[in-house]
Amino acid sequence: MSATSPESLSKRSFVYRQLAGASFRDIAGGAMATGVAEGNNNRSQAEQSALLDLSVLPRTGFRGLTAAAHLQAAGLPIPARPNQASVTGSGELVLRLSQKEFWLLGALSDSGAGVDALNQRGLPAADCYSLYCQDSHAWLALTGAHLPATLAKVCGVDLREASFPLGSIAQTSVARVNVVIVHHQLAGVPCFSILCDSAAAEYLWESLLDAMGEFGGEVIGSNALL
Amino acid sequence: MKIMPCPLNGPRNISEFVHGGEVRDMPNPTTCTDREWAEYVFYSDNQAGIVTEWWLHAASGYWFIAERHTVTDEIIRTYDPSEIFNQRVEFSDETTAKEVGA
Repeated sequence: MSATSPESLSKRSFVYRQLAGASFRDIAGGAMATGVAEGNNNRSQAEQSALLDLSVLPRTGFRGLTAAAHLQAAGLPIPARPNQASVTGSGELVLRLSQKEFWLLGALSDSGAGVDALNQRGLPAADCYSLYCQDSHAWLALTGAHLPATLAKVCGVDLREASFPLGSIAQTSVARVNVVIVHHQLAGVPCFSILCDSAAAEYLWESLLDAMGEFGGEVIGSNALL
Repeated sequence: MKIMPCPLNGPRNISEFVHGGEVRDMPNPTTCTDREWAEYVFYSDNQAGIVTEWWLHAASGYWFIAERHTVTDEIIRTYDPSEIFNQRVEFSDETTAKEVGA
């Protein structure tokens, strides 16, 4: 049996070229890097400063007057206000990006099975439509102890704990690219999930690595957190 | 850097925003003259003083309304468009027929 590689699957991460030489596993029809070629790939690296590509992990979005009711009917916790995120029991993130727009980001632990379950449900009859954020956006996870200091180099918004606590969302510009930043925890490690336009993913990947350099930041694979 | 207070996202650098033109009442497209429609679509007043304008927060795709003084460039107030636009605008079939026939 040959090893999984991004080229062997039709669904690819937007930064798969940056992950050449890594080992991969098949997640929802795409190749997720489990360990990178020249890196520590361990939890201590994730706790210090690390960048992880989650782009192939399933995610979906809904917008419209009945979008909140649609997610509620599926048993998902709805954040009370826009720009807040909540976590489900199985680890999915529910993002509320405006009064009427929601994204659901799959959990690493179950390879995004919760998102697939939601996608199996029919849409409400009116005022709710799907957003294809799986294809439009890359999902980069920045982890470690230096998150606000790292992003302060490329972003104008104050992302320190006092003004950007766990469960906060900021929709802003990072290195001049429009992004959604979500503050949450990934396997107990502080994490900023950064969702950017897929076409800007390679640029943002390099920009973030450059900003992480002074904190000893490195690329990791998902095994570092499992 | 100038700061714009976004009603949805809070204070953000002005470079994250796109200007969308003046907020004005739409004339009834079935009864107004071509001149009135052109005024609505293409022309702006460019007045010196406080104006009401559309602005877009590009990072979140969120349109809102800002009151701004065009001389001092001071932003007086920003708010969600639902304060003004609280019902759906329906265009009648007559409008479509006229456009197709024109």
